[in-house]
Amino acid sequence: MKMKRGKPKVDIPSVAMGDIAFNLLIFFVILAQSQDDSHIQWTPAKADNLKGAGYTRVTVTIDKDQKVYLNGQELSEGQLASRIESHLGDAPAGQRKVMLKAHSDCTAAKFEPVIEAISQAGGELVHILEDKKKQ
Amino acid sequence: MKFRRSTKLLVDVPAVASGDIAFNLIVFFLVCASTQPDTGRSQILPKSEQTQQQKEQDEHLTVDLKRNAVLINGDPVKTMEIKARVKAKLAGKSRPDDRVVIVKSADDVPYHAWIEVTSQIEDAGGIITLQLEEERTVDVPQ
Repeated sequence: MKMKRGKPKVDIPSVAMGDIAFNLLIFFVILAQSQDDSHIQWTPAKADNLKGAGYTRVTVTIDKDQKVYLNGQELSEGQLASRIESHLGDAPAGQRKVMLKAHSDCTAAKFEPVIEAISQAGGELVHILEDKKKQ
Repeated sequence: MKFRRSTKLLVDVPAVASGDIAFNLIVFFLVCASTQPDTGRSQILPKSEQTQQQKEQDEHLTVDLKRNAVLINGDPVKTMEIKARVKAKLAGKSRPDDRVVIVKSADDVPYHAWIEVTSQIEDAGGIITLQLEEERTVDVPQ
């Protein structure tokens, strides 16, 4: 008796699709991390009666080592005002929010020139703080 | 010729979809992590300008912030009393220009203390104006 050989099934292997997607995701997450400020170490100061800060295109951070960052990129205080101005462009009032994430223990010698630069650039300052009640 | 049918069936957990399940779980946790809202306090500051401050200092309320002390028009005040004292000083002043409070901070004042004081001034109806030194000393590491 002769056995008939069946046609070999040709198919794109889809088993690895999940792994490919997973690796792509990790790649884009790492890429995005270089643009945000989640890698900066800082502790927010605490205060009462806080409101939602909303959305902004510009975030200035002063970390625990008193280094200044604009949207996650380190820069000097001297460059700050012009860089904020270029980020804000011609945005109308109400859409010129600049978030300031200053480390709780950073000193006035550091944060006051930063506040001045934000003011000079026409930014609407929002201090990012932590609610005292959360403790 | 007879073939013997095997009665044993291979039972296996389908593993093809586990990659997709992991992917969806990651997306879910990423979305959860990124939507945590920031809370804060907005502060309206007048646009910075270089002016001779002497006349303004005479007219407006001045708060001197030192590392361990707060002075309102030269008088030491406890941190808890700032709001009441500023409110009393600003009583009867309705024009925004009259409600300007000049804040002068020593270089070593920490941010949390500054926020505490300026929050109280704003809650009392004051409009914060910072007075910065024209020059600051910066130590350059060798």
